[in-house]
Amino acid sequence: MAIFRIYLPFLDDVKAKGLKTAVRDKYSDVVTRVTTGMNPTDVRMLLRDDPVGRPNPRLKPHSESFWFHMKPTYYHQMMDGFYPTFRLGWLSTYFFVFEIITGIALMIFYTPSPLSAYDNMRNILSNVPFGDLLRDLHKLGAEAMVAVVVLHMLRTYITGSYKKPRQFTWLTGVVLLGVTLILSFSGYLLPWDQLSLWAVTIGASMVEAAPPEIVGRTLNLLVRGAPEFGANGLLRFYLLHVVALPAIGVIALGVHYYKVILHGHSLPPEAEAIGEDTAKRVPMEHRVYFMPKILTRELFYVTGLTGLMILLATFIYNAPPLEAHADPLITPLHITSPWYFLWLQGMLKIGDKVLWGLIIPTGLVGMILLLPYFEVGPSRRYGHRRVGLSAAALSVAALAILSFMGSPWYLVTSSPDQEAVAALVPQTHPGPLRESEWGELDFGTYQAGLWDTAPTPALRELLHIFDEELAKADAPERRDVQGFMVIEDWQTDLKKVTLRVVWTNPDGSPHEFSQSVYLHRDSEYAGG
Amino acid sequence: MKGNIVLGTLAMLGLIGAVALVAVRELDRMETAQRAYDARAVESGALEFENRCRPCHGPQGGGSPLAPALNSADLFDGSRLQAAGYTGTVEDYVRGVIAAGRPIPSAGTNYPQRMPTWGEEYGGPLRDDQVDALVLFIMNWKDRALAAGGGAPAIAPDQAVGTDVAQTLPEGDPENGKILAEGSLGCAACHLLSNAGPAWTADGANPGIATRAGERLAETGYAGQAETPDQYLLESVVNPNIYLVDGFQAGIMPANFATRLTHQDAADLIAYMLTFE
Amino acid sequence: MTEAAAPAPAGVEAPLPLSRREFLYYLWGVSMAVALAGGTGAAIWFALPRFKEGEFGGVVTIDVGALPPVDSPPASFADGRFWLVNIGPQTATDPRQPTDYAVQPGIKALYMVCVHLGCLYKWVETQDRFECPCHGSKYLKSDARIDGPARRNLDVFMIEAVDAGGNVIARTEPVLGNTQGSSVPITPEVVVLRVDTGRKIVGGANTKPGGGI
Repeated sequence: MAIFRIYLPFLDDVKAKGLKTAVRDKYSDVVTRVTTGMNPTDVRMLLRDDPVGRPNPRLKPHSESFWFHMKPTYYHQMMDGFYPTFRLGWLSTYFFVFEIITGIALMIFYTPSPLSAYDNMRNILSNVPFGDLLRDLHKLGAEAMVAVVVLHMLRTYITGSYKKPRQFTWLTGVVLLGVTLILSFSGYLLPWDQLSLWAVTIGASMVEAAPPEIVGRTLNLLVRGAPEFGANGLLRFYLLHVVALPAIGVIALGVHYYKVILHGHSLPPEAEAIGEDTAKRVPMEHRVYFMPKILTRELFYVTGLTGLMILLATFIYNAPPLEAHADPLITPLHITSPWYFLWLQGMLKIGDKVLWGLIIPTGLVGMILLLPYFEVGPSRRYGHRRVGLSAAALSVAALAILSFMGSPWYLVTSSPDQEAVAALVPQTHPGPLRESEWGELDFGTYQAGLWDTAPTPALRELLHIFDEELAKADAPERRDVQGFMVIEDWQTDLKKVTLRVVWTNPDGSPHEFSQSVYLHRDSEYAGG
Repeated sequence: MKGNIVLGTLAMLGLIGAVALVAVRELDRMETAQRAYDARAVESGALEFENRCRPCHGPQGGGSPLAPALNSADLFDGSRLQAAGYTGTVEDYVRGVIAAGRPIPSAGTNYPQRMPTWGEEYGGPLRDDQVDALVLFIMNWKDRALAAGGGAPAIAPDQAVGTDVAQTLPEGDPENGKILAEGSLGCAACHLLSNAGPAWTADGANPGIATRAGERLAETGYAGQAETPDQYLLESVVNPNIYLVDGFQAGIMPANFATRLTHQDAADLIAYMLTFE
Repeated sequence: MTEAAAPAPAGVEAPLPLSRREFLYYLWGVSMAVALAGGTGAAIWFALPRFKEGEFGGVVTIDVGALPPVDSPPASFADGRFWLVNIGPQTATDPRQPTDYAVQPGIKALYMVCVHLGCLYKWVETQDRFECPCHGSKYLKSDARIDGPARRNLDVFMIEAVDAGGNVIARTEPVLGNTQGSSVPITPEVVVLRVDTGRKIVGGANTKPGGGI
């Protein structure tokens, strides 16, 4: 007997049944294998939404296939609508996968080194087909993911779904929230422009506040790999962003998801008797089977959301334009941390870095993490949880107020001359001057107060903004505040615009501040 | 469910349409973006030039006694490269000189100092992208420089002022002297904007250059031939090393003004200097 | 809870004796915990950056000639990440100076980074003070905070004033309960200053609006 033999039973079948029948049988066999138990007729009945017989062939994939065994075979009828989950958990998972896919694509053109990172970004945006689209998608997905994960937590809190037996699910969820925030934050540094370097520097200097001083300093050195961000810090944040945090995320998501399936989706609070959990005891008549209804809807969400994301990124959303190359020796005026950390910055404006930047946030996170282990009231009904729900409403309001306080509009004052110039040429985004029509910047000297006599609409607009900003600087200690804009021909297609603020001090001495920017015909700031 | 199926299909059609639209516009977009980034590099190069290069190379690269003009045709038509014995492209020459500096002067030039190294890898302060931005900015002068022709016209020897301090100069115009000092001659770089040379302006107890010129003549250590403040100033310009003010070394002030200035220019410049009482 | 409520004869549940095998398991577990703790320590050491002489974190040597004149604007030394200020009578008697902190004439090396959130503050000549562009902390030349969300004075680096023979004439001494550096007076025999950017003296607490403890 030969040790090695090739035998194709299909050929015997063709001989025995004829080609047509043999092919049809083989096709049926392959479909049944791929679907782990449903033959072509079962699949077609599924697609036609025909009533299903017994034994139900649509249950087989749930017990035999890897992907379907993770999905429950049926949901409770009450969980079929938008309320009470708003699909927020599902959406979080969707965005996690979405970010992994777009992120891997971007990794192909990116090297985490200060020597090349910025250049790589410029290359992605100007020399990679779909590079700009992918960056927009990745950034849009990241911001959407932060929002969705936070809303998911809020929803879980409001419907009381963290209560027994789902305490540990909540805990892993809080870990996932942390992973989401730090993922987003660490990704912020990677473009290596002024905006990313300094926003992340502000955020990261929070760890330096950890008492005692030796701990803070060591933690800071561990995170940044040096006293300040440089090659080491960029590499470490990159590794956090693409290896460590996704790995922690996948593990925590696995546990979180397993617990969700184990305990079932918690029903709306008013649907159950107080203290009972009937999520896993669904009467036959209330069951909605995964196939075809839930499966169809999830496919709809995948296609609909992906379509929506691409439409948004194509027509509406633009990731912030690349600013100047990161420079560890110049801090831009009015730089802030990313929006989801503005509340933390707001707290830091109230008071001490150690207390408000570290002890209080750590305490808050600890409280949220362990919430289900000390908030053990048995009722999930809204009416019975007035204190808890009020606390949530207050927290949301406090977050909104603190976020406002964290923005540059609150309590950040520099000298008024610099503020007025920065209103036209801000240091964190292109701003009105760079975005105005190049051709309308006629050469000449213009005075802000006489804005309505300027020759072109763009100049009138700019000088009007300048004039309004200067009006704020007018005070008893500053007399005769005046602003000038000088536009000169500098080179082929290059104009020099000088903004000058002059005033008279109370002692009669003159004051002058001026800043020049150069504008090229093709710099396209308005185009993003 | 039917709604889901229809909407899902529409979403996919929308997605395909959007991606197709992006694909159609992508080549144009990449070209525009490339141009935009180069343009922004020119802008940041201009700023860098103003901060670091202008003191020696003059406003808008017009050159000064300390360093050659950068907006002149000889840089872009290759004649300066030839003088330096360089065989690469102008762009590479400019980048190399900025990054690594010039250890030796080109033949026929007599600048008091060598170009320092600017690139980070040679111990300078600038990153690669900053050097590239400067190169783009300087190369952006090409069209105008070539259109203007061979740079500033040389002065015929019989027109130049020479080193005779006792000669009679025509009537000077201080306004034109100011334009010369701040513009093509580049005096302002050392004498007005920085203290690389003796300051012209009055500062505290120290009077301006016009008054000081008279005082210097009377000093015992004075080694020159001037007899009036006008002559002292002329001598300082055209023959700077004959007498050195305390604290300054020979060779820092360029010694080639005797051949660069016309009689009228010298008179204008001195008239301007005499306004600093 | 049902197990506990079940009727059980009192005293029947005898404690299980610790067997040798079980003990060995525990020992194994403890050894793993110790190894893990040691591994964590090793990992921290592995990941901590180390500094070479001359780079930021090491000693920067400055010639006396390079010092800013008395009461002039501060001079920036970007490589060492510090500003050198030469405090004279005018700076010392600045009316804005909070009275909680004494100012002595001399040189200080102010760490360039804002003690609030790590931005680089700037010298604003027209206001005669440092201003931070991020959250608007304001500091005087003397290192005292006078406004903004920072909660202490600027950090300073240790300076040693050295004469021609290499002897240390004066150095920055911690004052005010070890949390504020003194100024280093410049006497004629001083030739160079050595600024140790690895030794930072944290600024004194300063929390009141307008400055002060």
